[in-house]
Amino acid sequence: MNPSENKVVVSVQSVGKIYRMGEVDVPALRDSSIDIHKGEFLVIVGPSGSGKSTLLNLIGGMDRPTSGRIIFDGKDISRASDAELTLFRRLQVGFIFQFYNLVPTLTALENVQVAVELVPDAMDPMEALSLVQLEDRADYFPSQLSGGQQQRVSIARALAGNPSLLLCDEPTGALDIETSRQVLDLLVNLSRNLGKTVVLITHNGAIARAGDRIAQIRDGTIASIVRNEHPTPVKEIRW
Amino acid sequence: MVNRVLARKLARDLRHRKGALIALIAMVTVGVGIFVGMSGVYRDLDGAKENYYRSNLLADFTVDLKRAPEWTAEAVGRLPNVRAVRSRIHQSVLVDLEDRTTPLPGIALSLPNDGHSIINGLMMRSGIRFSHDEAEEVILDRQFAEANHLEPGDRIKVLLLDKQHDLLVVGTAMSPEFVYLIPPGGGLAPDPAGYAVMYLPRKFLQNSSDLNGSYNELVGLSYDTSRRALEDTLVLIKEQLEPYGVTNTTPIQDQTSASIVQDELDNLKTTARIFPVIFLGVAALVLNILMRRMTAQHRVVIGTLRALGYSSGTITRHYLGHGLIVGATGGIAGAAFGWWLQGAMVGMYRQFFAMPGIDRHFHPEVFAVGCAIAMCFALAGAFRGSRQAAKLEPAEAMRPPPPEQGARVLPERIPLFWNRLSFQWKMIFRAVFRNPFRSSVSMLASAVATALLVASLSMYDSTYYMMDYHFTRLFHHDLTLSLRDPEGMGSLSEVRGMPAVSYTEPQLDVMCDMSNGPYRKRTAVTGLAPNNILYTPLDSRGNKVVVPATGVILTRKLAEILNVGVGEQIKLRPLIARREQVMAPVVGIVDTYLGLSAYCDIHYLSTLLGEYRTANSILTRVYPGAFTLPLMEQIRRRPKVIGVTERLRALQQVQETIGDFMGAFFFITVLFAGIIAFGSMLNTALVSLSEREREVGTFRVLGYSSGQIARIFSGESFLLNGMGIVLGVGLGIGVAHLLSLAFNTELYRYPAIIHPSRLMLSAALMVLFVGSAQLIVFRMIRGLQWLEVLKVKE
Repeated sequence: MNPSENKVVVSVQSVGKIYRMGEVDVPALRDSSIDIHKGEFLVIVGPSGSGKSTLLNLIGGMDRPTSGRIIFDGKDISRASDAELTLFRRLQVGFIFQFYNLVPTLTALENVQVAVELVPDAMDPMEALSLVQLEDRADYFPSQLSGGQQQRVSIARALAGNPSLLLCDEPTGALDIETSRQVLDLLVNLSRNLGKTVVLITHNGAIARAGDRIAQIRDGTIASIVRNEHPTPVKEIRW
Repeated sequence: MVNRVLARKLARDLRHRKGALIALIAMVTVGVGIFVGMSGVYRDLDGAKENYYRSNLLADFTVDLKRAPEWTAEAVGRLPNVRAVRSRIHQSVLVDLEDRTTPLPGIALSLPNDGHSIINGLMMRSGIRFSHDEAEEVILDRQFAEANHLEPGDRIKVLLLDKQHDLLVVGTAMSPEFVYLIPPGGGLAPDPAGYAVMYLPRKFLQNSSDLNGSYNELVGLSYDTSRRALEDTLVLIKEQLEPYGVTNTTPIQDQTSASIVQDELDNLKTTARIFPVIFLGVAALVLNILMRRMTAQHRVVIGTLRALGYSSGTITRHYLGHGLIVGATGGIAGAAFGWWLQGAMVGMYRQFFAMPGIDRHFHPEVFAVGCAIAMCFALAGAFRGSRQAAKLEPAEAMRPPPPEQGARVLPERIPLFWNRLSFQWKMIFRAVFRNPFRSSVSMLASAVATALLVASLSMYDSTYYMMDYHFTRLFHHDLTLSLRDPEGMGSLSEVRGMPAVSYTEPQLDVMCDMSNGPYRKRTAVTGLAPNNILYTPLDSRGNKVVVPATGVILTRKLAEILNVGVGEQIKLRPLIARREQVMAPVVGIVDTYLGLSAYCDIHYLSTLLGEYRTANSILTRVYPGAFTLPLMEQIRRRPKVIGVTERLRALQQVQETIGDFMGAFFFITVLFAGIIAFGSMLNTALVSLSEREREVGTFRVLGYSSGQIARIFSGESFLLNGMGIVLGVGLGIGVAHLLSLAFNTELYRYPAIIHPSRLMLSAALMVLFVGSAQLIVFRMIRGLQWLEVLKVKE
């Protein structure tokens, strides 16, 4: 399956974002455009402070651009109200964070339930946990799980709502190499086997080779977008 | 030395948490304010009282008798522990004022013409003293004169025994005897316009009272004024004056006005201690929570400061500074609030107590102690957090804190309950059980605030219940005509024949000495007519007390004092007429709220007096809407009638006196409960929110709205405060009962009235306070920069 042949899920069109820090305007993103296709595994790579997290947040409806448009399924989410954005995140987006952001006072299963509660046609939370092979840890609290396991719970939580988009912000950034490999493998498989659209940002160039496409971001703008005809299998990636 | 940078940091930290700190400072302000205000009022009132009693020589004891020759007073003066005595005439009067339809009851007391430095001396407020000892002149009690617009130079008609005198008002005065004047049998509050106290020249009053060369009251001073010593002294005096018919002996502790003033002072002292401890205690606990959260949040900053070479002492002092600022600001604001409160209360007492010199004075020691207490509580509150900060080693502090432990909490052991909960409620329960200290403080503050509301509402209801009980449930007449001496039933028929009178009922009240072995008490016994309907004493269950043909029924308090039970006998000796001692069987014990009464059949009591069917008051009903002027005219012409009391006027008087006070009291209580509840809820909710900002961010990313997240926080708050409210209702009911026990005096007993509707009102007010605090939390959740929160690793 060639993702590029599929329809565009998200279209980022000349998007810019300026943060106002006190009396100074700090441009975080400038005139960036990219189309994200259904079912692809897109890796956005760039150094710290290059604007990749800003781009991901804009795509995920966590923030609004200062200029440009972001079209999701034919609708301009850059002009959406707070309530519309909340609904968009709830139904269309699954987030995976570098630091997992699990609720420490809920068990693994309950952390997944947190997402399931809101979505009408969500997965069974246990099924989501079994997708990340953590069904036997369902009753564990985050503090009782390793970093990799916590990140897998966070992936299960992101998957559980059956979102159109999985947005991953440095998902392996806080993990050791072996665990990072397992998590990345899981994300790639979700894209390849379940047809999920995955956008992953990283500063680690090695990871990028697993993507269907690789977008390079530098100084707040997308410098290049390269199609990767032969994505490297995760187990062959050298960190 | 104060480190400037740290001082700046302190200022910014405080500004950052200004909402929470203002709520805390409000609690400290109220605590210090109550301490300063009430302690100040206590000193002002006590000082004024001491000064007034001392300069006007308030008597330490009073002895009432039928008639004793003047020389006997000197003999009493030589008894041990008697410092000085003064004999005087005490006479009931009826005053006829032009603009009044009803003659007013009152008392006349004799005053020597050279009445300077005498026991129970007067403080002249206007006019002059008598021109001579037999002058037909009168000095009026200032309050009575003012209430009836009487001034020196006016004339009033006064009925003494059976003769009306036209007296010239020469002056107005105050006496320490009548600081709080409750008319005899008049119930609960003073009635300055309706009850006359007047002073007449001694010789004139002796002549017109048929007491030439004699007296009927002795007032005296003692060396040892303790109750015990005074009671012993009074026993000696009573023996000495026995042949002259001693009818009553009163030590200062039982003197109505003095004991009410003393009770009020004692109450002020207790309130000035208890309330500040509650408010400052809760404030210290909340500050403790706030400070511990703050130092946890500042972990990295503290580590950096320590790495830069700041000592742990400097760090401790820096964080104690928060407590210092809260204590100092609350202390200063509390002192200002207390100063205002002192002024307001002094103004209120000036209306309640007829006493000169009730002025607001500045008591620097009270302010100093108030501020010092505030500082101590605030520093104690900040201490744990500050120590926690200082104990952090730099390297450890710069590492992230160990992750929060997720472990099972108590309710999880009940799967049937736990498995039914949504994840939101699971979060709520875990948050509650994993922060036992914070949860307990939240509950405690809610419980205290609820108890404050419940107890105050109960006092409010009890006061009105007492009024209703006294004026509408016990009495059903319109007028009470008090007779000078017990009269035969002919008087009853006479009154029944007067215009507008629809029904009459006789009553006989006789002061009696009662004893049971060593236990003794002097009190009034009320003789009730068979089938009485105009005065129906009730027991505390609301049942009418029915008196049998022989024997007496005692109120429980009196039975306790006499240590006697039903079926036993007491010695009963009336203090008038034949004064013969008899053995009377106790046929019943009832719970009542007012006085130390005993009840029996009117004919039985008459027989004890050696009389046949007599009464000394006539309860009268008039036809509804009837014109009563002709009735009053006729009463005025009856010299046997020494007093007329209108029930509804007395009720109105009490309502006016108590109504405003109770309204203000209720408002202040709600305000204080609100401050304590709101302050603690807001702080604990904000701390909880600050600990869980990251969770809020995650929920927002997952698509939860601010409202949905706020519901989780308010769930926690309502769960804790709900439990606090339930505890507080129980605590409030307990406090109400304790207050009722504390007010269990010989004068009155205070029922603890607790209406379920008031419990609901208290709970509803508390829900309102919780809701208001939650609104602020909701606003904060809505305004939270959740994206920023998620960017950093905690």
